[in-house]
Amino acid sequence: MDNPYEVLKADVLNVIEESPQIKTFQLKLEKPLEFQTGQFVELSLPGIGEAPFTPSSSHYQDPTKMDVTIMNAGFVTNKLHQVKAGDILGIRGPYGKGYPLDKFKGKDILLLGGGVGLAPLRCLLLTLIHDIDDYKSITLCFGARTPQDLIYKDQFADWRKINKIQLSRSVDEIPKGEKWDEKVGVVTVLLDDIKIDTKDAVAVACGPPIMMKFGTYALIDKGFKEENIYLSMEKKMYCGFGQCRHCVMGKYYACKDGPVFTYDTIKNEEKIWE
Amino acid sequence: MNISPKNTLLVRVADLVKFFENVKNDFDIFIPYTSNSDNDNLFYKKFRENLDFVPNKFRTIDPIKTLFYFTSEKILPISNKKRKRIIFGVKNCDIQALKVLDSALLEDNFVEPNYKMWREKSYIISSDCTDILPSCHCNLFDINPYPTKDSDKDAIFDLNFSPIDDKFLITIGSKKGEELVELLKKYCSVSNASAKDNDKLESQYAEIRKKLTDNNSEYSSNRKYEVIAKGDSEKKWKEISEECVECGACTNICPTCYCIIVNDESENGKFKKVRTWDSCQLNGYAKVAGGASPREKLWERFRNRYQCKFILMNQNFSKLGCTGCGRCISTCSAEIDKREVIQSFQEV
Ligand code: SF4
Ligand code: SF4
Repeated sequence: MDNPYEVLKADVLNVIEESPQIKTFQLKLEKPLEFQTGQFVELSLPGIGEAPFTPSSSHYQDPTKMDVTIMNAGFVTNKLHQVKAGDILGIRGPYGKGYPLDKFKGKDILLLGGGVGLAPLRCLLLTLIHDIDDYKSITLCFGARTPQDLIYKDQFADWRKINKIQLSRSVDEIPKGEKWDEKVGVVTVLLDDIKIDTKDAVAVACGPPIMMKFGTYALIDKGFKEENIYLSMEKKMYCGFGQCRHCVMGKYYACKDGPVFTYDTIKNEEKIWE
Repeated sequence: MNISPKNTLLVRVADLVKFFENVKNDFDIFIPYTSNSDNDNLFYKKFRENLDFVPNKFRTIDPIKTLFYFTSEKILPISNKKRKRIIFGVKNCDIQALKVLDSALLEDNFVEPNYKMWREKSYIISSDCTDILPSCHCNLFDINPYPTKDSDKDAIFDLNFSPIDDKFLITIGSKKGEELVELLKKYCSVSNASAKDNDKLESQYAEIRKKLTDNNSEYSSNRKYEVIAKGDSEKKWKEISEECVECGACTNICPTCYCIIVNDESENGKFKKVRTWDSCQLNGYAKVAGGASPREKLWERFRNRYQCKFILMNQNFSKLGCTGCGRCISTCSAEIDKREVIQSFQEV
């Protein structure tokens, strides 16, 4: 790459409303953009701004296509939520390191996700499903605030059909008028029912900071080793590759050293959960 | 530490002006000049015959990064039609700062295209300090107030000028420096330096080093830096940062600070991105969408500058992010002296 800031044009093919706060944008890129699951891209709304996102589609998909799932959480994402099919965005990347999938081979894998954290996990999940024979089992523990806030609603049925996949979901609360017959409580309650040998299993967590924090503690409690707990960190990443320095956490850069870290790597750095 | 410059040449000060006049159509030439109000305030300006420039003395007010990493610069698309430049009178603290910037912007995991272009287009003529400012403290980092060529590899400076009487003694630092010498020879008479000239230089070196040691005698030079990040130092950092008004001057003026934000200024279907200096001292610097900020409090942001320069940069680039230029000291409206801050951690 001559210029690390080089931008590709991305046509918005379709916008899926996943929840009141979360939308998935299906993009068609002017040129292929190859990435590894776990890496991130910077998506820009021309003239407005840009922000980092982990794609939510598999890295096995046609590299001129990409899904990005975005929560309306700040200035840029708010403007992105007004984007319609037919609009044009800019995309650059990929940046950061992917998941070390080689280390996942032959193991039980647990994905713990909350809210919009399911987006990067879906990218990983679709990749794992593609190579399902390489893994012992996949356990999915997904949570959201309310049933309405759960994203990818129509895809769970398909995932449940896959033999090696165990899927459980929880919501924090059930507002009046909404229906829910699965678990209620913070997402970590789902860990009580998992049926894998955690000593040798891999866990990947992604979600809001508070969920990551208590999720990590709960995973350790369940017997996962610190070096087998992977966290996808959300920090302010302006450039994507270590120039702007906004995402520094202690001695690490979330962008170039991450965004995925094992818990044992970063546990001694200050304020990783903020 | 003291390596005598070998193969040195001499050029007369008066001839140098002739040289600049002759090449100013091919190069943009930047030289330190005094500001009208204060003789100690030196600023890089474009060469103009009718002004008296200051070849030696001490560092400029503006850090060297202003010439290589502008306050605001378009990074997409890159425009490449830039003229060659000669930057004259760069002091060793800024030469060392360029080393830090090179590590971060050229030798890490990406190449910053604008910085690379400016580095390539620039011929750097550094010069010895002949005087010091009260804030100067390069000696605390084992940096001499005069650049020297210490290995066979190309130095950051292309040529270095040491004043000897009414002449300059020239040290060639790089291949680009050899090119420059050829150009110099076209317009100036260049002679070989004698052993006596080199002796004289050695005694000048000793003299300026002594000035620096005296200036900083209160501060120990073998300072430990890990201590500043100690978990129980919150109270101390709160006290130290109490007067800070969060202006961000200390980071903007620092020759090794390179934090930026990226803005998207695309219009009419053309992608355009601009980067602008940012300061870790400002509230909101690390805030993510959704509002969480890992450095919410003033003292945490204040401490961050120290952790970054003395710990993070060292871990990432094997060099400290401070060259002792003292600019952050002379600019601070709260009169916070970095030397004292570090020193106060040595005594506990
Ligand atoms: S921290 Fe201060 S003394 Fe050190 S290089 Fe930066 S401005 Fe100069
Ligand atoms: S220059 Fe002084 S007052 Fe301004 S941000 Fe830096 S330490 Fe604070």
